[in-house]
Amino acid sequence: MTNDERAPVKLSLPLEFQQDIFKELREEDELVIIARGLGLLRIVTNLLHSYDAAGNNLILLIGADDRENVWIGEALAEHAAISMSPRARGLSLVNTDLMSVGTREKMYAQGGIFSITSRILIVDFLSGLLNPETVSGVVVLHAEKVIATSLEAFILRIYRQKNKAGFLKAFSDSPEPFTTGFTPLTNMMKNLFLQKPALYPRFHVTVAKSLEGRKKAEVIELEVPMTDTMRDIQNAVLECVEASISELRKNNTGIEMEDWTLDSALHRNFDTIIRRQLDPVWHRTSFKTRQVVRDLTLLRTILHALLSYDSVDFNRYLDTVLAASQPPPGSTRQNQSPWLFLDAANTIFTTAKRRVYTGKVSNASITDLNSVPDSLEPVLEELPKWAQLAEILQEIEQDAYFNPVVHDSSNGSILIMCGDQATCRQLREYLQTMYVRPAGAEQKEDVEEGPSASYMMRRKLRNYLSWKSSFSKVSAALFSENQKAINGSTEQRLQSGKASRPPPNKRRRVRGGASGGAGPGRAETGAVRIAGDRDAHIASLMAELQPTEIEAEQKTEIGVDPLENMDDYYELFDMNDLIVIHPYEGDMDEHVLEETKPRYVIMYEPDAAFIRRIEVYRSSHTDRTVKVFFMYYGGSVEEQRYLSAVRREKDAFTRLIRERGNMAMTINNASLDPQESFLRTINTRIAGGGRLAATEQPPRVVVDVREFRSSLPSLLHARSIVIVPCMLTVGDYVLTPNICIERKSVRDLIGSFANGRLFNQVEAMMEHYKHPMLLIEFDQNKSFTLEPFSDLSAPATTSGLAAVPDLQSKLVMLTLAFPRLKIIWSSSPYQTAEIFSELKKGADEPDPLRAVQLGLDPNLQGDEMRTFNQTSQDLLRAIPGVNEKVAMTLMLETESLTEVANMEEGELAKLVGTEAARRIWRFFNRNFSGDTGEELFASLTQI
Amino acid sequence: QALPSRSGPSSILVSPRQKGNPILNSVRSAAWEYSDIPADYVLGATTCALFLSLKYHRLHPEYIYNRIRDLKGQYKLRVLLTMVDIENHEETLRELSKTSLINNVTIMLCWSAQEAGRYLELFKTFEHAAPTSIRAQQSTSYSDNLVDFITVPRSINKTDALGLVSNFGSIRTAINASPEEIGMIAGWGEKKVQRWCNAVREPFRVQK
Repeated sequence: MTNDERAPVKLSLPLEFQQDIFKELREEDELVIIARGLGLLRIVTNLLHSYDAAGNNLILLIGADDRENVWIGEALAEHAAISMSPRARGLSLVNTDLMSVGTREKMYAQGGIFSITSRILIVDFLSGLLNPETVSGVVVLHAEKVIATSLEAFILRIYRQKNKAGFLKAFSDSPEPFTTGFTPLTNMMKNLFLQKPALYPRFHVTVAKSLEGRKKAEVIELEVPMTDTMRDIQNAVLECVEASISELRKNNTGIEMEDWTLDSALHRNFDTIIRRQLDPVWHRTSFKTRQVVRDLTLLRTILHALLSYDSVDFNRYLDTVLAASQPPPGSTRQNQSPWLFLDAANTIFTTAKRRVYTGKVSNASITDLNSVPDSLEPVLEELPKWAQLAEILQEIEQDAYFNPVVHDSSNGSILIMCGDQATCRQLREYLQTMYVRPAGAEQKEDVEEGPSASYMMRRKLRNYLSWKSSFSKVSAALFSENQKAINGSTEQRLQSGKASRPPPNKRRRVRGGASGGAGPGRAETGAVRIAGDRDAHIASLMAELQPTEIEAEQKTEIGVDPLENMDDYYELFDMNDLIVIHPYEGDMDEHVLEETKPRYVIMYEPDAAFIRRIEVYRSSHTDRTVKVFFMYYGGSVEEQRYLSAVRREKDAFTRLIRERGNMAMTINNASLDPQESFLRTINTRIAGGGRLAATEQPPRVVVDVREFRSSLPSLLHARSIVIVPCMLTVGDYVLTPNICIERKSVRDLIGSFANGRLFNQVEAMMEHYKHPMLLIEFDQNKSFTLEPFSDLSAPATTSGLAAVPDLQSKLVMLTLAFPRLKIIWSSSPYQTAEIFSELKKGADEPDPLRAVQLGLDPNLQGDEMRTFNQTSQDLLRAIPGVNEKVAMTLMLETESLTEVANMEEGELAKLVGTEAARRIWRFFNRNFSGDTGEELFASLTQI
Repeated sequence: QALPSRSGPSSILVSPRQKGNPILNSVRSAAWEYSDIPADYVLGATTCALFLSLKYHRLHPEYIYNRIRDLKGQYKLRVLLTMVDIENHEETLRELSKTSLINNVTIMLCWSAQEAGRYLELFKTFEHAAPTSIRAQQSTSYSDNLVDFITVPRSINKTDALGLVSNFGSIRTAINASPEEIGMIAGWGEKKVQRWCNAVREPFRVQK
């Protein structure tokens, strides 16, 4: 700790508990777990500033994400300006895109506060670019992510081994992850090399006192009822969830399933919980179980969409869902998602559609009940919250008019908080257009002139209908093969029937085609499928929706503002009559509150953390009044989710407090026993009688820098093996001059078999090393077996296998192609670390320089531009026609994927040859929309 | 009448030592016959296999070394077909990994008799097959390619892929679309939009 306590540091921590935490942290190292919304980042920035102002230090901030970096950077600059501390240097960011090794070294030498990506920091620590001893302190954000095998834990271990004096503070604002497993808090503390946890739940005495002592924020709760159709859909979805869960229970006996209830299924991470429970037996779970787990995620998304999307968008989303869950080729009825067979699924799709439009009951159809209605009529149900929102706004206006508030420093603006950007956009559009009337509505008199979304909804429906026609073509084009494989005959009929229009009373069950009955049909397999509406109907609906004059006058494009002619058209808004719509963004919301200084806040969706933020805001500024309106759908999933989130956080804190009470003192002794470290260097290969000589080198392994995403380097280091991070072209790990290892997790293995990368990698290893090895590493908690065969009973004929080889056959092919290749099977990264040290026993140490140079293209040698971004690289490889060579050429010759996508076939051909260029170009430029659908349909079969 | 065999016999040669091994029951698609050979199975002109059950290995750790020694460096590819039939396999497998390096054998693990039999069949079946199917990408249908491509960035699923293409008509347009436009598609939340746009826009090479 520095001695500059006397330096004038101005802090911005108005509340008592914040000051408490700050003081505690200045005094000693600890882990602070604080309830969400209590202003964690504010404490962090103040703490950092207090060190920053003192100057002459090197502080590392790890675990911060992009937004937090921006926030902390701004806040530090602001603090520095306020306290006018000459020595404050603010925050410096270190992430890959920006700086080279040289720049980094210079920056570290200068000191200051650094936010560094973990992957870079670990390499810098290990390669000696940054000496841990020079670091004066480390601040860890998101401490809940520091599990034993994580990079952050690795960083902290190196830091603590070399540097005992520097400070170390960890922060977390999500208590839940600290409560799973056996003595989770103790384990976490061990990973963090800390002894003392400090817990600040909302019910902490000081917190409660600071927030409730003075004037509290005024909160008005509004329970908005859902419409009947919404409730129907919600119930139907819940029924599907329930059915899926019981399906899971039925298929997986012998697993603890107490938690598998409808209630917990609504949580964000229910599917991850199930996944984790099933992992040890994943190889024994059936295809169906896996599908059901996937379905649960999907159903949860649908539930969310039901409440946040408007009826048209919701229906559109369901259309996409349905098309995407079309059965894969060669599948049978068994392979379809089980929930699609339920009546409830039918309810979901029909009701969703009924919210948008229905058949118009005309005179003709009353007489003949069997006939399909002749035309369609828009229904366009509006979300109940919209009306409520309009009402609140009106009320606020009145309120502001009738009781002009005594002068305070609030702005008088209205802040509307909602779940995400999409809802934001939706609300913005609604508020802009809610008083616009389509001409048709004016004829109905008597109706009170209330706000309505009809203009917006009509526009959306028009978009939807034009989208729908192209969409059915797309999905037909994309999934026709699959469908054909299942029921070829129906497709035949569809093809032949296309020319002549079917008689109107004959309902045709055709998926996605332009013709067909109005209601949702069932596929031959029995699952729900998309029912197309007849062209004529769509046309009539379109006619009905033609923009009226009033509508046409409105600005067409809402939502996207091109920022041209900024100076001419834009000016600063008067903050007093402003409605700000903003999505929840974690700690960033604090900024929003501070900047808008709203007098009224409308919470469009419930969010526990935001309520606390308002409490903090309110208590921090005694001179501002805030009135909060809090909206939620009564009896909805939204409400339940909110309540259970609050409860879970409280439970988590209670458990943590209990565990802290029983926690044993842990003493970290990370350093290696000096005797052992000497013995390790002794060369035992001197056969009898020779003089014992200590070799100079401790065991070391050369590791490719890209491998630091896995936990293996950390575990190797824990076994006191020196890690040398290098940029390797051949292999991932070099253990001895002869042994080179390519590590593959089972997932990677499947992937790199599929795109042929593994073959090339092994080929390169064979060329340069005497003992090339393939390490197949299984996950720690997952089953130690390969996936079961696709089909054991099918005869394994050569032709059949060559067509769709499974993982086992590919392995066999690999070993046959490379007899010298050895395979290491490891059940977990821990096991791998053991195997590595076993393999290294009695062998020479590898030479990093040689390892780096092997396999390097001589043309590229010394080229700084050798590192590639992983995701874009993977995207490139997923394009048909791109093999290793083509990928390399494209990566070196072009800038980004966007550039490749926009190149013409000729340009591509110059780089990669005509054949590959043709395939790449066709991949990007195949057009689904418009009139080419029919040709596509035909051409698809040729590929 | 028969075509002259290019190399080795057409059936799997089985050592009489393996009589009664249940994995033989699972060898169905390839013919096998007993023959007097040093290895347990001969799967091709240059390929042989030894079978080892870890349960047995724990009782007689020296057995396998004797058998490997008996092979006397014959055969190019010497497979050690290892059946994992015990729970605490870690230490044994570590030792075998080391052995495989020293004695030049390739370990293949299997977890059931069926799987073991299947490996024998596969080695025989692919004896002369060229490794084309692991060498380069296999062409699949356009829709699969498309979905594979779009779902490369994390958390983007098939439904999203379909939504994206159906909205923009072609992949090229989808790549050129601005984040705001993509954000309007149902199901595409902020995170997904950001991941997709980053993946597509970011330069291939890391700028140093």
